[in-house]
Amino acid sequence: MPPIDSAPEKLNFAYVRRPGLWKIMFTNLGMGIITLTVWHFWGKTNVRKHIWSCIHINDEPLEYTGKGGELFRGFLLVFVIFILPLLLLTAFLGFYLGPQNPAISGLNFLFAIAGYLLGGFALYKARNYQLSRTNWRGIRGNMAGSAGLYSLTYFGNILAKWFSFGWATPVMNVVMSEQMIGDMRFGDSAFKFKGRAGPLYPTYALCWFLTLFVVIGGIGLFSYEVINWFGTGLSDAFDHLFKDKEGVKPTVEEFKLIGIFMLGLVGLIMCYVLIIPALWAIYSAKEMRTLANYTRFDGAQFKLNATAASVIWLAVGNLLIIVLAIAMAAILLFGIGFLAAWMGLDKSTAVAILIGIMVLVIYQGVWALTRPIIIQRNISFVFKRLTLDGAVDLNRIRQSIAARPTRGEGLADAFDLGAW
Amino acid sequence: MVVSATYFDGESARNRSVDVNEDGTNLTFSGTDTPYTSWSIKGLHAIDAPTPGQPYRLTHEDKSGARLIIRDDVFIKTLVSRSSHLKGGYSSRDIAHIFGWTIGGLVAVAALGYVAMVLLPDKVAHILPETWRNRVGSQMEAAMAEGAKLCHSPAGDAALSAMITNLALGQPDLPAISVHIYDIPVLNAFAVSGGKIIMTREILAKADGPDEIAGVLAHEIGHVAHRHPEAQLVRLTGMQVLGSVFTGSNGGDMTTNIAFMATVLRFTREAEAEADAYARDTLVKSSIDPMGLKRFFEKINKLEGGGGDKSSAFSKLGGIFSTHPGTEDRMKLIEPLPAGVVAKPSLTNEQWLALKDICK
Repeated sequence: MPPIDSAPEKLNFAYVRRPGLWKIMFTNLGMGIITLTVWHFWGKTNVRKHIWSCIHINDEPLEYTGKGGELFRGFLLVFVIFILPLLLLTAFLGFYLGPQNPAISGLNFLFAIAGYLLGGFALYKARNYQLSRTNWRGIRGNMAGSAGLYSLTYFGNILAKWFSFGWATPVMNVVMSEQMIGDMRFGDSAFKFKGRAGPLYPTYALCWFLTLFVVIGGIGLFSYEVINWFGTGLSDAFDHLFKDKEGVKPTVEEFKLIGIFMLGLVGLIMCYVLIIPALWAIYSAKEMRTLANYTRFDGAQFKLNATAASVIWLAVGNLLIIVLAIAMAAILLFGIGFLAAWMGLDKSTAVAILIGIMVLVIYQGVWALTRPIIIQRNISFVFKRLTLDGAVDLNRIRQSIAARPTRGEGLADAFDLGAW
Repeated sequence: MVVSATYFDGESARNRSVDVNEDGTNLTFSGTDTPYTSWSIKGLHAIDAPTPGQPYRLTHEDKSGARLIIRDDVFIKTLVSRSSHLKGGYSSRDIAHIFGWTIGGLVAVAALGYVAMVLLPDKVAHILPETWRNRVGSQMEAAMAEGAKLCHSPAGDAALSAMITNLALGQPDLPAISVHIYDIPVLNAFAVSGGKIIMTREILAKADGPDEIAGVLAHEIGHVAHRHPEAQLVRLTGMQVLGSVFTGSNGGDMTTNIAFMATVLRFTREAEAEADAYARDTLVKSSIDPMGLKRFFEKINKLEGGGGDKSSAFSKLGGIFSTHPGTEDRMKLIEPLPAGVVAKPSLTNEQWLALKDICK
């Protein structure tokens, strides 16, 4: 081997948008409907190819080399060895013991536990597949550790977070990142992750107590207002509404009261939906910055300039995109409904057709037209804010010798772990 | 024409400057730290479609990890114009593959659907062990009745047995059944797995004679004889498997969710026709006037399928009175007893009054 001339380079990250994503999205929508969603795997691959190619490191784009067929085979394998036997077993027991037998609930509980156990396995395998299909300067990545070990950590993480009312979150997220990021390789070079969860706790505590305050305060305020404004009139109104067997119907006034109450309730829920995630954005931003800081590659240290405001904006934007897509799907659906009614279709036939179309259009439309945009937003969020302090000696990095997996992500797909 | 380009050999991340040339059959390149390499143009593969002003990325089938990045637009244009396979995107072979997979997939799904929804249910329904059918049926009956009172009276029970016996006179191979009447203010009657037939107080109240109830009962026995409830359960399982193919997941606990089962377990039109045929045959053979069933159908049809409390699981179940366009055709098929056959009452007047009062 010739001597290696060492020439460390500073690495710059960028997300360079290029046209073509909408074309892929509409192709995916059309093909998804034509193929009754089987296109999903190829569609996902095309989206990844596009988004990967927008991620530039020192002006050289990433390249996604995965194939739809690999994902499809991964899905088939999981379906045949995992989902189908599970379905058939449940069905068999349903016939054998009767559908209401408590043993069935027990079995479903066991399946849920198995699902949580396999969740980490699936995430790890999906990451390995994606890295093995990601090329930069002709070098691919891989995961060097054990998916089984990670699945145990992942399961422990679920239990720990659950039993500690969330307080284990910073520790567990650091532990999981240490395993996941520490196992990541680019060629023969390792990512290193080292750091403590301690610095995350002040922010975590702030968000946790603020959430508690908002929840209790909100409920208290709401109850106070309900009692003060509506008094016993409201409970009478509800009695008249739900116990109309006695022949007492609610009056117009009572209907108004119920209406105002419901509006207040919706308002309260909306506040929760917006305020609580916004609060947690403070922690998310802190965690992203900290975890990036703990990550090193070839001695260089990552930095992620994520602020709470930017995380909120990212989340709100993503939410709006989904809401908009669902609203459009609903409008389309009503249109189909009216059309069916206008054509005078028999009720049950119309309902069957509607449900079929609804499932396809909503599933396809909402997913095919929102998910790629959301992924692009998330990835571009990271790569626009990511920097690497220090230089990397790229000339020394050799190709990965790890075997490339031949199938991908079947389990992650089955659990819908969003492994894009 | 020689242009400069960037080469990554797929073995290290080193950025290599090379000079590239092409002669129509081969693409050759070399550099200070890159030995002279010749790639056949036929074996080249474009990573992306060429875009003016953008780097054009090539690889070769013999070295799939390597990347050659050319930035000279004129060179790219010349190369691509002579070799259409370098235009990137889908080749005709790719498109053929995609269509092959799609059509193959759809055929496979259709075949699976046919097996799971049409072929298997009837077959499996007939081989399910008796104990299983009974267990499932009991649980379904309990879930459907939603805690309603089971109507009992010594005279009423005796009348019900007498009616079944009268039906069995002409149909000796009548399947094993149990008939329960519940104190439910919804007009319905249905059969669940294990030969369990369930009727409501309301159906007795709406009937103007025993022959009407005998007709309804004969229809439900028809469902039992053809194992329609069991077949529907198998079909539901098939639906779940198909559903999970499309969503790529375990589609929830459909087969263990009674409320869901109630909404989808309506029998098909063919099943209703089979049960009707069985009822007509049984009534004629037992010399019970089939016009009772017809009268009841007509009455119910006018009432638009029962009414009552639509929110209960019981009324969601289609049962005998699901109104669809077939109802009138079904009624037309019911004919009086053949000439010369003397109709026998399905119950005496006394028995009928006892049955009507069974829920009191």
